[in-house]
Amino acid sequence: MNALRLAWLRLKAIVTGRKIERESDEEMRLHLDLLAEEYEQKGMTRKEADSAARCRFGSALLIRERGLDVRGGGILSDLIRDVGYGFRILRRNPWFTVVAVLTLAIAIGANTVIFSLVNSLLWRALPYPKSDRLAVIWSVPANHPEQKFPGTSGAYVMLRDNTRLFEAVGAARLYEAFTVAENSDGANWERVQAQWFTQEMAAVLGIQPMVGRWPNESDDINDLFIVISHGLWQRKFAGSFDVLGKKLLLDLGVATVTGVMPPGFELLNPDAEIWIRQTVTPPHGPVPRSPNRIFTAIGRLKAGATLEQAQNEANSIAVQLGEQLPEVQRGWDLKVESLQDVYVGRIRKALLIFQGAVFFVLVIACANVAGLLLAQGVGRRRELAIRSAIGSNRWRIIRQLVVETVLLALIAGLLGLMFASAGLGAFIRFGPPDFPRLTEVGMDLHVFIFTLLISGVTGLVFGTLPSMQVSRADLTGALRETSRSATLGPQRQRLRSGFVVLQISLAVVLLIGSGLMLRSLLLLDMAQVGFMPHGLVTFQIPFSRSVYYKGAGNTPAGGLMVEFDGKLNQITERIRDRLKSLPAVESVTVAITPPLGGMPRRVTFARDDTPTEPAEREAWAAEWYPVTADYFETLRIPLMRGRSIGPDDASSRRPVVVINSALARRFFPNDDPIGRRIVFDLLDDQPREIVGIAGDVRQNRYELSSQPQVYVAQDQLPRRMDLNIARQVLVKTFVVRTSGAPPIDALRAAVREIDPTAAISTVRTVEEYAGAQLQDLRQYTALLSIFATISALLCVIGIFGIMAHAVMHRRNEIGIRVALGAPPASVLRLVLRQGLLLVSIGLGLGVAGAVVITRVIRTFLWGITPTDPVTFMIVTAVLAVLALVACYVPARRALKIDPIIALRID
Amino acid sequence: MFHLPRLSKGTVVAMKEIDLLQGTLDLLVLKTLSAGRMHGYRIASKIQQLSADVLRVEEGSLYPALYRMEQKGLIESEWGLTDNARRARFYKLTRKGRREMQKETESWLRLSTAVARVLKALEQGA
Repeated sequence: MNALRLAWLRLKAIVTGRKIERESDEEMRLHLDLLAEEYEQKGMTRKEADSAARCRFGSALLIRERGLDVRGGGILSDLIRDVGYGFRILRRNPWFTVVAVLTLAIAIGANTVIFSLVNSLLWRALPYPKSDRLAVIWSVPANHPEQKFPGTSGAYVMLRDNTRLFEAVGAARLYEAFTVAENSDGANWERVQAQWFTQEMAAVLGIQPMVGRWPNESDDINDLFIVISHGLWQRKFAGSFDVLGKKLLLDLGVATVTGVMPPGFELLNPDAEIWIRQTVTPPHGPVPRSPNRIFTAIGRLKAGATLEQAQNEANSIAVQLGEQLPEVQRGWDLKVESLQDVYVGRIRKALLIFQGAVFFVLVIACANVAGLLLAQGVGRRRELAIRSAIGSNRWRIIRQLVVETVLLALIAGLLGLMFASAGLGAFIRFGPPDFPRLTEVGMDLHVFIFTLLISGVTGLVFGTLPSMQVSRADLTGALRETSRSATLGPQRQRLRSGFVVLQISLAVVLLIGSGLMLRSLLLLDMAQVGFMPHGLVTFQIPFSRSVYYKGAGNTPAGGLMVEFDGKLNQITERIRDRLKSLPAVESVTVAITPPLGGMPRRVTFARDDTPTEPAEREAWAAEWYPVTADYFETLRIPLMRGRSIGPDDASSRRPVVVINSALARRFFPNDDPIGRRIVFDLLDDQPREIVGIAGDVRQNRYELSSQPQVYVAQDQLPRRMDLNIARQVLVKTFVVRTSGAPPIDALRAAVREIDPTAAISTVRTVEEYAGAQLQDLRQYTALLSIFATISALLCVIGIFGIMAHAVMHRRNEIGIRVALGAPPASVLRLVLRQGLLLVSIGLGLGVAGAVVITRVIRTFLWGITPTDPVTFMIVTAVLAVLALVACYVPARRALKIDPIIALRID
Repeated sequence: MFHLPRLSKGTVVAMKEIDLLQGTLDLLVLKTLSAGRMHGYRIASKIQQLSADVLRVEEGSLYPALYRMEQKGLIESEWGLTDNARRARFYKLTRKGRREMQKETESWLRLSTAVARVLKALEQGA
């Protein structure tokens, strides 16, 4: 209460400050007069009495000040006075102010951008009620716990029926795509991303459709029921509310709409627009034995249950699973991960690295401005000395100086906020495509507070040290010297040198970091992919499943099995022939994944003449590519030996396979593979004769060196297949080599000529696929390079500043030397020596720091180690040259000093 | 704060400052004001007079003390006219100030009696 009252009085005093002073003065005057009267009565003359009274009373000014300490606005009103004074000072040195504010604003802006990302992506809760309780339960191979997979339906059912810690566990199949048409003749078809949700997902996510409801038990288990996205609702039904009960034709059947999700609803796949009810065994029914790992289990933890407890529970369920379903679950563990981590896990590291980088930039900017302040402080020594001579104590002066720097930093913070909002806009538009929820990124109150805070702290940090130095005024010295000869004392010079060394070393670390990533990119760009991507365009046709295969019971392993008829290959071949006849098309081939754009299937195999050691069985695996004729010719993959897969293989009864060099080297080190036979671990597959050896190709990820690969003729695939493989085989990827620009429209028209219902999707050049793979790295590199460039620039400014100052400092001495006949080279050497010493210390520390720090970006590097000597050398050299220039220019000026003028200055 | 008095005019015998317990000046001011409202000069001269010129209040301490106590709500001030019609700021006790004065007086008396007792006892060679 008292503190409040006091604060109120002080606040009032700030407003009524003048009045208080006036009253105080009047009170003092009265007191003085009365004292004088008293003396006069004792017999002094008027004049004597006055001076005696004054003498006794002491300094009225001091009393007034002390009174104000008690009654005035206190520290607050001082602060206001300091701020006002600070503004005047900043206005008086516009150049300093502009440079300092800009420097800081850039650094603060960069920090704000990255913080906004961290704030929006890492910290902000997911848009589900109590989203911190949502967790994904992955299946992980016991020997590769870092790989996370969806689980089998058995694992999901066991989790759902046995958990005590989850309120509900649902399962989703996250990535599916369907062709959606409005009616049975396939009109207005469109390719749409979809997800399968079990009924429990409604309870798990806790989000209701904005129109209608989720599918539930009352919906016939044999029919398809879906909820659709807000976007699809608008597109297909024009947002009409009688959408409920409407039918949509998917390529797997007719589906009934039961609801529309609110805008923005998504789960781990922002493109999904349809959620299909997935039916599994009802609660506590028999545990399915399917080996397909397609269900991503997602649970909502009960209040108070921790992820750790859930993990323990999952472990014991995994043990039970291994016992109950040994053939599909042995060797598989369950791993519980919070949904938030699933979303941001991939980018957390990148964001944290950026956060570190921008922090470096901020420190460098601080060091720069602190250096400027020190230099500027010299010019103010007289002012400060006078202030302390008339009674200002050192803390008062420090406070004044710090208020100035905080003021500076806050102005910079406001400007930085503006920079940041522009920068963030750019980031959202051009940002890495793998950033989830990028549309939700924005600046909110947290960001504002963060910016305010770092600005304030920045001001305090870079202000305090120089202020303490500057305020340690040597009174007589400062008052005696002329302002023009005023320079940094040795101690301040040392402090400033320290700042420069700090800047250089941090800049070195940043430059080396971005240099390493840049070099990785260059290496990747130059990497041999093993074929010629230029001129290749691809598109996919996902053929309708109901037309080309039908269910055929279960595989021996327990998965769903389907049987193809021959029609799929026929239609593929007809389309291929039609495309080949187009004018601009050189050749056409069909695969199931685009080169550099798909996830290959790995298949184990064995030689049919020698049995594989049991321990080796897992290792005998290769990427498996079903292709048509002209594959190697179209992609221009070199054939090392033998022949490629040709048109005759389609009708031939003799199954063949082409292997790549990596496979030949690895599994046939001593004998000639041509003519040997291998057999794949696939249902109904026959032993295949190796007829050719092709060059190694980077089919998959750019950065992965070539794995063993096999190419088989699509027409020679077994008719019966596991559903999983069948679904992949059903999506045909046409790879077309064209001369000149790809005639996309002609391609579409040609396809439609043959099959009017075929939905062409994802038309893309292979170069686009390649580019997309490197896009993350490119953007990370770009961002880091921007930060590194800023830091290098600030560094050069810092070095230049201190060198220019040093030259001014030694003007006298240099003048004398020149007057006495010192050759220019020796003068130059004299000046440069100091700068180069700082630069080499900074470079040394920076390189040492980089050796330690660059390890954190290891995962972003390709083809080089984090201590790549070439990068280190180049960066050090570049920075050394920059620093040399920054030293040399002021040093040159030293040479031009006219000894007469230099000597006359003092 | 307080100076030892000049024993005779112009001769300073001892100017060593006595560190009086914090609040002693406040107590004296409060006590003085309990006689009624008065302005700063009157307070100072009253204390000096009552202490038979032993205690002399320094103006540099008096006014800050007055302002401080006013802020604490122990005294309040108003502008008024002196006997010979000059504008002056008059201070007077608030109820809170009166309570504070009684409390402080008691504790001061207790303290000084105790100190005196100890000193006396030691003098008698106990």
